[in-house]
Amino acid sequence: MMRRRLALVALLAVFGLVVAACGDDDGGTTAAPTTTAATTTTAAPTTTAAPTTTAPPETTTTAAPIAAKICEITDVGGIDDKSFNETAWRGMELARDQLGVEVAYLESQAATDYRPNIDAFVNEGCELIITVGFLLANDTALAACDYPDQKFAIIDQQPEFYPGSPWADADGNPLCDFSQVRGLTFATDEAAFLAGYLAAGMTQSGVVGTFGGINIPPVTIFMDGFVKGVRYYNELNGTDVQALGWNPDTAEGLFTGNFESLDDGRAFGENLNDEGADIVLPVAGPVGLGTAAAAQERGFLVIGVDADQYLTAPEFAGVWLTSILKNMDVAVLNTITNVLNLGSVGNLYVGTLANGGVGLAPYHDLEGTVPADLAAAIEQIKADIIAAGGLAAFLTS
Amino acid sequence: MTAEAALRSPREIRRARYLGITYLVLSGFVLWFFGIGSWGEGIADFGMARPTDTFDWIPSLPVPAAAFAIGVAVVFAFMGGVQLVRGFGRWQNRILAIAFILFIFAFLGWAAAGQSFNLVGMLRTAVERSTPITFGALAGLLGERVAVINIAIEGQLLAGAFAGALVASITSNAWPGVVAAVLVGLFFGWVLAVLAIRYRVDQIIIGVVINIFVLGLTSFLTARILAPNPHLNRGIKLNSWRIPGLGDIPVIGPIFFDQTIFVYASLILVAVLAYTLFHTRWGLQARAVGEHPRAADTVGINVYRYRYLNVLLGGAVAGFGGAYFTIGTVGRFDENMTTGRGFIALAAMIFGRWHPVGALSAALIFGFADALAGKLGILQTGIPSEFLLMAPYIATLVVVTGIVGKARPPAADGQVYVKE
Repeated sequence: MMRRRLALVALLAVFGLVVAACGDDDGGTTAAPTTTAATTTTAAPTTTAAPTTTAPPETTTTAAPIAAKICEITDVGGIDDKSFNETAWRGMELARDQLGVEVAYLESQAATDYRPNIDAFVNEGCELIITVGFLLANDTALAACDYPDQKFAIIDQQPEFYPGSPWADADGNPLCDFSQVRGLTFATDEAAFLAGYLAAGMTQSGVVGTFGGINIPPVTIFMDGFVKGVRYYNELNGTDVQALGWNPDTAEGLFTGNFESLDDGRAFGENLNDEGADIVLPVAGPVGLGTAAAAQERGFLVIGVDADQYLTAPEFAGVWLTSILKNMDVAVLNTITNVLNLGSVGNLYVGTLANGGVGLAPYHDLEGTVPADLAAAIEQIKADIIAAGGLAAFLTS
Repeated sequence: MTAEAALRSPREIRRARYLGITYLVLSGFVLWFFGIGSWGEGIADFGMARPTDTFDWIPSLPVPAAAFAIGVAVVFAFMGGVQLVRGFGRWQNRILAIAFILFIFAFLGWAAAGQSFNLVGMLRTAVERSTPITFGALAGLLGERVAVINIAIEGQLLAGAFAGALVASITSNAWPGVVAAVLVGLFFGWVLAVLAIRYRVDQIIIGVVINIFVLGLTSFLTARILAPNPHLNRGIKLNSWRIPGLGDIPVIGPIFFDQTIFVYASLILVAVLAYTLFHTRWGLQARAVGEHPRAADTVGINVYRYRYLNVLLGGAVAGFGGAYFTIGTVGRFDENMTTGRGFIALAAMIFGRWHPVGALSAALIFGFADALAGKLGILQTGIPSEFLLMAPYIATLVVVTGIVGKARPPAADGQVYVKE
């Protein structure tokens, strides 16, 4: 009796763990062979069409079908989060289709997964490992030191050396040589600034709002640019539009504390709407979909982040005023191209309005409701920011 | 000081003394931080209606923050004095609740001094956010009242959320999704029941295994089935439904009667269980099974049947509560979207002393702290956002460990029963 009982539970436990493991981690790697098998054969000949590469074009034509394997490690939230991880993955898919590389991903369910995932990919012989997210910096830095020949690219981070940096020791000296690590960073505040200006011009109630997932720079840079855009609108037009949820001066604001709970996104959206905000910018990956659901029910507008969420989440089509694009796919593709053609990851990548690394999505269904002079003003500001060489320079000029 | 004091045990006297000192300390704290702290900051404007309400013209409630806080400090000092001298007797817990509410309002006044925020909106959010916790706690207490510990609430919630989203998307109708969520909850209730009652496996272990299993399974299915087929995860949901008449009542209406069906169902279920558990034959017999199964068996109560029935019911309740996460709020399913609410529900059950009304109160405290954190993020109080996020959990921890005193679980809780 006793033995049978234990066997039963052990069986259930093992099954549970196996399924958990399949769902979480191995999902990407087992998926990879099926996807790559379909594409490697057909894709290679068309590689010359690779866009915006830093490499001389003649080298690409000589490249026969390449066996390089490119691997991505996501942050929590899943590969299909409709924004952050998914945009980076799209860069991988573009590389697969255009450059004929083999691609694979591992999802991180928790911060403790980062390092095991990196190790797994190093052992699989990945040519380039892309770690998606600021929070993976520590583990990426340590892995880069342990495997000096492995090429890495990390989104939203760059090797920087000051005391307290994940890339440096306590005195601010580099932990090791990081020449094989490329930082892919984005001046997202440039695009968010435009979105803030747009929101201030579109609001009926005179109040707009924003909230973030976690109080970390790649999140708050959106909120920062957004609020500054609202302020700039007020300054220029003599209005008094309020921006709730973030204070650039104290660096404090409204945060859900996670990138997973859609219910939080809905509650925070309703919270801001109760305070009068009729346009909300959620900067929390899939959590923003909860805000979109609340917006659909209550009739306020939402600004998407990372990807054009009108396209990635069409079920909420009517509520997306626009999206702040952070074209991680462009950066990822650019890096993969570098690795294939130059054999190195290349220098630091900074996505800006000027190079198309960040931008504002079309207004889609709401095109008709955006006044022509407001749209024109935004185009003008965009041109001015590009001409000034960045948001900080634009604001001081 | 004579007859009543003589009836109090030394332990009660000690507790009353601690409470008295706590009131005095709180009085000083409120006076110093909230009274002096908001001095000259002006009036805190509490909004009493939302823009979408029937009576959206209801004026907001202006509270002079500093004066109010000083008033609260005086009341606290008085309470502390009374508590130390003679105690409040059987009013003690009620006075404690009043003190808690006064403290919260003094705090809100301080936070919102010179600004405004929507009080009704916050309270509505508090009620809404407490709903899944209420369902979870009810599921837990259904099991524990017949001495079966259900740690698997989190897994049952998550399974219900997944099944609800999937079936609602397939049928393009939210109601079959709700039914599916209940059935899936029922299934995991059955798994728990069979392993715990028939095979007498350690109930904690089964619960943990079910949680891991459901998290893994739903993540796997999300990645493999939902992600490549967006039409299976389309975000079908039930919008909130304003009860005609009741929903138009100022202040109370938007808080309680302009909610989703899940909120109404949780309140009704609390009432039904509070009645049936303590005022019907079924309730009496079920509790007997939880307290002393051998005695219950001796008088002819079928212990196993009661245990199966209640654990299955608990699973169904948790499954229904899980549907709140998808059909009740956003429609879409995403991995691990219950984010530990099932464990908070366990704490709510204990804090609620295994009573449905108590569980509801505990869930409301968590929901309130949750909604409060959201408002404080907007008000820019200078409290770090990381701390605000901890607030609901700290509130839960404090009430479970400290304020309530000793809570007594059903005597046979977690023990297997072997019929002789």
